[in-house]
Amino acid sequence: MSKLLKIMLLGCLSMSAFAEEAKLEKIQVPTDKPSIAKGAEDWINNCLTCHTMKYVKYRDLLSLGIDKAKVDGWRGEASLDTPLTAQMPEAVAMATFAKLPPDLSLMAQARDGGPNYVYSYLIGYYVKPDGSVGNHIFPETKMPDPLGISSAANAAERAEKQKTAKSIVTFLTWAADPHAGERDTLGKYVIAYLVVLSALLYVVKKQIWSRLK
Amino acid sequence: MSGPIINWIDKRFPLTSFVKHELTDYPTPRNLSYWWNFGFLAGIVLVLQVATGIFLAMHYKADATLAFDSIQHIMREVNYGWLLRYMHAVGASAFFFVIFVHMARTLYYGSFRAPRELLWWTGQGLLLMLMATAFMGYLLPWGQMSFWGATVITNLFKVTPFIGEQVVIWLRGDYSVGDDTLTRFFSLHYLFPFLIIGAVIVHLVALHTVKSSNPSGIDLKDKDNIPFHPYFTAKDLYGLGIFLIVYSVFVFFMPNSLIEPANNVPANPMMTPNHIVPEWYFLPFYAILRSVPNMFGGVVAMALSVMMFAFMPFLDRSRIPGGARYRPIYRLQFYLFLIDMLVLGYVGYKPPTNPSIVVVGQVATFCYFASFFVVPFVSKMEENWLIKRGLPAGIMELMEREKRDLEARKEEHRRRKGDRI
Ligand code: HEC
Ligand code: HEM
Repeated sequence: MSKLLKIMLLGCLSMSAFAEEAKLEKIQVPTDKPSIAKGAEDWINNCLTCHTMKYVKYRDLLSLGIDKAKVDGWRGEASLDTPLTAQMPEAVAMATFAKLPPDLSLMAQARDGGPNYVYSYLIGYYVKPDGSVGNHIFPETKMPDPLGISSAANAAERAEKQKTAKSIVTFLTWAADPHAGERDTLGKYVIAYLVVLSALLYVVKKQIWSRLK
Repeated sequence: MSGPIINWIDKRFPLTSFVKHELTDYPTPRNLSYWWNFGFLAGIVLVLQVATGIFLAMHYKADATLAFDSIQHIMREVNYGWLLRYMHAVGASAFFFVIFVHMARTLYYGSFRAPRELLWWTGQGLLLMLMATAFMGYLLPWGQMSFWGATVITNLFKVTPFIGEQVVIWLRGDYSVGDDTLTRFFSLHYLFPFLIIGAVIVHLVALHTVKSSNPSGIDLKDKDNIPFHPYFTAKDLYGLGIFLIVYSVFVFFMPNSLIEPANNVPANPMMTPNHIVPEWYFLPFYAILRSVPNMFGGVVAMALSVMMFAFMPFLDRSRIPGGARYRPIYRLQFYLFLIDMLVLGYVGYKPPTNPSIVVVGQVATFCYFASFFVVPFVSKMEENWLIKRGLPAGIMELMEREKRDLEARKEEHRRRKGDRI
């Protein structure tokens, strides 16, 4: 009983914290390969230091149309079948942040709000009156502003960083569900087929029932 | 169908006569509406779940350290694994949706009343087995919601008198949900659908004994019955086409709308998710559980809320046939009950932080049980009122005949008893 109560209480507390959170920015995530490939590059440049993507391998990057030479540069000695693994050793990360940066393979689907959440989180950093950096979306986050958006000097620089954030989210969205494009295409055929089939079945049904007096 | 082989078989096994009697020539009321399609659809979804489940099980690993990875392996590397998994996950929701409509149909038309009580009770058993199967299946992906959902629900068995703690450990195979829980849930998740298939057969045998009810509520004369094939095969297949379109929209275009985001985070016993919610089909019952402040009371209320349907044949004493069709008050009760279910579902989804949500939940829980308990009184009052107001001649006649039949049966019973003395 007390455990259940505790679970529910915790749930309540964190949920009320949730409700106070700022509204998420809504973005339209592109699904074309060049945008995803660009996102992969941005992700590797900005996030691979700390984050792993255990379900995405270097070989998967080739399938996005990224240059083999570039991928070879990123992976160094590692084989093509190595997952994208954080450069920072876990012990160092633990010592620095007191917690491990989470795996990002499924991140675009692992929070309420999905891609919008990640995007809003990345661009949600700001400078507090006391000079320290805060985040609107996840106030107590241990992640230091990875894109430096809180220190953007002017609107143009900020817009540039927002673009990078969106590009990274594009890659994360793909990584969370790499077959989404294929699913979409197949789905259209399946539904078109079913619509025709149902129409025919309706005609057959009408025809058969018309025999009844 | 004929030919030497069929003939040979027919002499030894009722192959064609069985098909003829139970399928093709099976007499079916011609006035069945599309609401009668849902039983057939439930059967199809069951087949879909078993088919996709068996292929998933070829790639799935029931091991706490591997389960989450194996789902991602299915989603990413197995050919069309994503399709199998989405079909199975969406299929579970589709199953409940279809079953709920099927039950609502039965309640609306009063098809649970004599002589269909056993049919209704086997259906109740199927609902329980379906709930158990879905609950155990939900643990298998080994995400945060899987783990915590199973933890919360198995924990409820603590209220078992005297041996509560032991029962919980017995269910989990460990002090907390872990590898032992996962392996047993997988084993049972594989077994239960086959038990369901067996129960479906019993359900169908009962159906074929008493035959389908129909919207008029009157047992139709032979001339109003038509053979199942080709009329209802054609109608069911058309309904199946429509169903598959809706199902495919979910599978292909919004599969993640039915998967909690938190279940894309691997199970972590050290970290409770923000808000533990069950799948949508459990929400009304979950709301009832939470609406009772005392845990024992909550568990009893929840169990009872699922089982209340079984009492319907006893509660509804009205002799007016046709369910809600000829009974305006019963119809009103039916719609109020549906609205109450939706309110409970909403309450179950919301975290119980907001005191007004809690109050709404308690009121809705009260209404849920009240809507069952008032049925015997309301149905009798309604019957008297309707008879006084005047019913269509055919219906009055039918009720008179049924009354006479009942008297005759009682008389017969008394006489036999008298004989024995
Ligand atoms: C300096 C190391 C570091 C870098 C670089 C970094 N992160 Fe993080 N990240 C962290 C840490 C530490 C956490 C854990 C934060 C916490 O839970 O408080 C985290 C958490 C996250 C989360 C999860 C937030 C949540 O809701 O739990 C997301 C999403 C994320 N990072 C995205 C990114 C992206 C995208 C990039 C690249 C632009 C990036 N991170 C770069 C250290 C880093
Ligand atoms: C009554 C029919 C069934 C229902 C209602 C059902 C329900 C479910 C549910 C709700 C899940 C979790 C889905 C998710 O969120 O990913 C699941 C997973 C699973 N089920 Fe079933 N299931 C049924 C039949 C079967 C059968 C017959 C098998 C055969 C072995 C099976 C094998 C699996 C496997 C391997 C998983 C884990 C993969 C996954 O999570 O997608 N299921 N099931």
